[in-house]
Amino acid sequence: MALTPKSKFVDQYVDPVGKSVPRIEGRGIVTGQLKYVFDVQMANMLVGKMLRSPHAHARIISIDTSKAEALPGVKSIVTAKDTHQIKFGSNEYFFPHTVDQMALEADKVRYIGDEVAAVAAIDEETADEALRLIEVKYEVLPGVFEIEEAIKPGAPQIHESLNNIAVILPVNFGNPERVMKEADLVREDKFWCPVAHPSPMEPHVCVGQWETFTNKITLWSSSQAPFKCREALAKTLKMDLNDVRVIKMAVGGGFGGKLEMLPMDFAACLLSKKAGGLPVKICLTREEEFTTTRRKHGMIYKIKTGVKKDGTILAITGEVLADGGAYCSYGPTVLAAAIMRIFMVYKIQHFRMSGYRVYTNNPISGAMRGFGGVQSGFAIESHMDLIAKDLGMDPMEFRLKNITEPNMVTVNKMILTTNGLRECIEKACAISGWQEKRGKQKHLKRGIGIGIAADVMGSKMYKSHESAGAIVKVEEDGSVYLFTGAADTGQGSNTALSQIAAHALGVSYSRIKCKAGDTEITPFDTGSFASRVTFISGNAALLGGRDAKMQILEIVAKDNNLNIDDLDIKTEKVVFKKDGKLLMSFDRALELCYSFKYGKQIIGRGSYNPKTTPIDFRTGEGNVSGSYGFEAQIAEVEVDTDTGNVKVLELWDAHDIGRAINPQSVEAQIEGSLAMGIGYTFYEDLRFKNGRVLNPNFAGYRVPRSIGMPKMNSILVETDELEGPFGAKGMGEAALLPTAAAIANAVEDAIGIRIKELPITPDKIIKALKERDT
Amino acid sequence: MDIKLTINKKDRHLNLKGNETLLEVLRDHLSLTGTKTACQETECGTCTVMINGKAVLSCITLAANAQGDEITTIEGLAQGDVLHPVQQAYVDCGSVQCGFCIPGMIMSSVALLEKNPEPTQEEIEYALDGNICRCAGYPKIFEAVREAGKKMKK
Repeated sequence: MALTPKSKFVDQYVDPVGKSVPRIEGRGIVTGQLKYVFDVQMANMLVGKMLRSPHAHARIISIDTSKAEALPGVKSIVTAKDTHQIKFGSNEYFFPHTVDQMALEADKVRYIGDEVAAVAAIDEETADEALRLIEVKYEVLPGVFEIEEAIKPGAPQIHESLNNIAVILPVNFGNPERVMKEADLVREDKFWCPVAHPSPMEPHVCVGQWETFTNKITLWSSSQAPFKCREALAKTLKMDLNDVRVIKMAVGGGFGGKLEMLPMDFAACLLSKKAGGLPVKICLTREEEFTTTRRKHGMIYKIKTGVKKDGTILAITGEVLADGGAYCSYGPTVLAAAIMRIFMVYKIQHFRMSGYRVYTNNPISGAMRGFGGVQSGFAIESHMDLIAKDLGMDPMEFRLKNITEPNMVTVNKMILTTNGLRECIEKACAISGWQEKRGKQKHLKRGIGIGIAADVMGSKMYKSHESAGAIVKVEEDGSVYLFTGAADTGQGSNTALSQIAAHALGVSYSRIKCKAGDTEITPFDTGSFASRVTFISGNAALLGGRDAKMQILEIVAKDNNLNIDDLDIKTEKVVFKKDGKLLMSFDRALELCYSFKYGKQIIGRGSYNPKTTPIDFRTGEGNVSGSYGFEAQIAEVEVDTDTGNVKVLELWDAHDIGRAINPQSVEAQIEGSLAMGIGYTFYEDLRFKNGRVLNPNFAGYRVPRSIGMPKMNSILVETDELEGPFGAKGMGEAALLPTAAAIANAVEDAIGIRIKELPITPDKIIKALKERDT
Repeated sequence: MDIKLTINKKDRHLNLKGNETLLEVLRDHLSLTGTKTACQETECGTCTVMINGKAVLSCITLAANAQGDEITTIEGLAQGDVLHPVQQAYVDCGSVQCGFCIPGMIMSSVALLEKNPEPTQEEIEYALDGNICRCAGYPKIFEAVREAGKKMKK
């Protein structure tokens, strides 16, 4: 019945949303053809290297580069003298005073690895030799490395501020002290949440080129936020935004670590300029990756809760101390997220918690997947289990009594619309066999534990808005380009956004090619963080696809003397809305648009900014996100009480994802998060001594590998978020948040031992067992 | 020194200093950038290639020592446009995320399946334990190996 021959584009995915379509980059990845910045080779490309401070805290007296400059093969060297000495940071909108890092430090270094100079040379050996020949004279200063030492009066002062507390966040609602007195039970706990490292498989890498005569900069970057990177480059190099082009290529993983411009990005451009415009590539070694890029904040998390006998939470108070390291990075908002996530999960009216982000001479803390929620997830969900135990309540029942509901406003004015938390808990418990297992497998040294969490779909962090844009360009032959500013770092956003755009336009997935994250070509997008891309960039792709569709329908309606409101495009066909009757094929409609008579280009445009309110960081009030996602996680473990080894037998993650755009990708995100959660629970622990990282490699810093991974079960709970594109919510981070607590709670169920300081290691289990038995 | 390497069934004549690793030769001399590296110190498995059917880390293999061996890289698996069953299975099972570890992961998978197309779960885990994937929790990678094994057995 088709009016034109069957299009070559029509595939089995004519309505792609909700289908596990293959990844756009799939064939490129499995053949090695997909190009990462790591793979960039250019004629006359120079090798760039950073000179780093060997001291944790020192004044720079002088830098002499003359010997290095004389070395044959060295093309350029830059120090702070070559820069405008403008500071950059990541929370400049909310916390302007935390913009505290210079691309190349001028007067002082604040951690081992701080950048003081950079060189570009014809090859790696020459660049390394040049680094050795640069003479830096330092006056070494006393350093401070522990949070509790750094906040003492008289501690070595790291920045020009009153003390080493960079940020204090007071979050206050109601009257917790008064209400706490009415409680039947008050419990207080203290937890240690260690330092993890994002460690993407592709280390930080960039190629910078400064065309000296046209004064134009191009940076090929492995960035999660190319527009953020452009902004920081333009600011620190005193350029216009459109003089700086950041091109995101395939990114070999980010996990929060690639959200910010690093000094190397800045240095590559400046080195190129001084070398007459030759491209300069800087690729960090794995050791540099572990020691000089952003890491997760180590946190001391103190929490006190008052409850009634029936389990109702009355009030919560507490204190969070975060080791920030040498600079602020995303620290203030990480700290805020570590405190304020609780409002999405539990109904609380009386709350007081203060957060302190403390400077130390350790490497820099910043964003890492979970964004404070992994630390708070471990602390809060462990604490809640302990309260349930004190009350003699089933921890699942205790949670069901206190969780947030759909369509409610939290005490800090977050607007929760769809909320599948109850369904997540009930499904996870039913499928995992909670009732049959909880407390009933002690003879086998087996236990089962639960943790719950919630997450945002975006958050304003460095700008007043967090809009995303999309352009959907329909070519004459029926192929379609989606231009999005969103940065796919491996999570599959190019695929998901293409599905959304195709579905909104009413065509097959195979028509779409996606061009993403090139600041000169694609619309603006704040970046891949806060689980925002499917929700925010997805809405832009949806609007872009819909706009293109309306442009086509306008021509069809005109040509057929019909009312545009009566028509729609669905599954490759122009149809009548009322009865779905076929009017013409999509290809025929497009022929009309690009005909002699009309000659109309189809360029759909979408722009989306979520409906949020600004957070008041003096109180913690504000609706940070346009929607919220929820989950419940259950872990079953078996403990070997001879060796102290804990084996995770199985994990269940029931997740309110609104609606799955691509179920296979959703599962992949959940499984990856669970693995990272297992890593954080048992071994991911970046350790420092006097500011030096003790385990800066994959031998010393273990990450999850294939042996010993448990069976993982993803349970998708679909709540159809009205504000989400086709009902979808984001979910890139949430599944990582409660894993450590679910496992720790399962360990207690198995052997009655409570671990409050991660990681859970065999020696801690053995020690606790010995203490208990003596 | 003049060295002849047999890579993906083609002879490549190279003039080397002698201290180059196979990884450097593949990426820097021959622009075969499908082979990646994430650590250059034998910990991540990302640089895995096959030498005479065995999975080998190219970051600690001297190129000069691989003379006379059959070297296979990720670029040598597909036949024309047709993907190797392992490559196809990684696409079909949704086993790829950022993709950076995948060439190495696939080489380890092929080396396993060529010897043993019906590996047990334990055998898969041991064969891939040297390959770190930071994105996945591994279930979809295990699934791809099992699916590919079924096709390779036929």
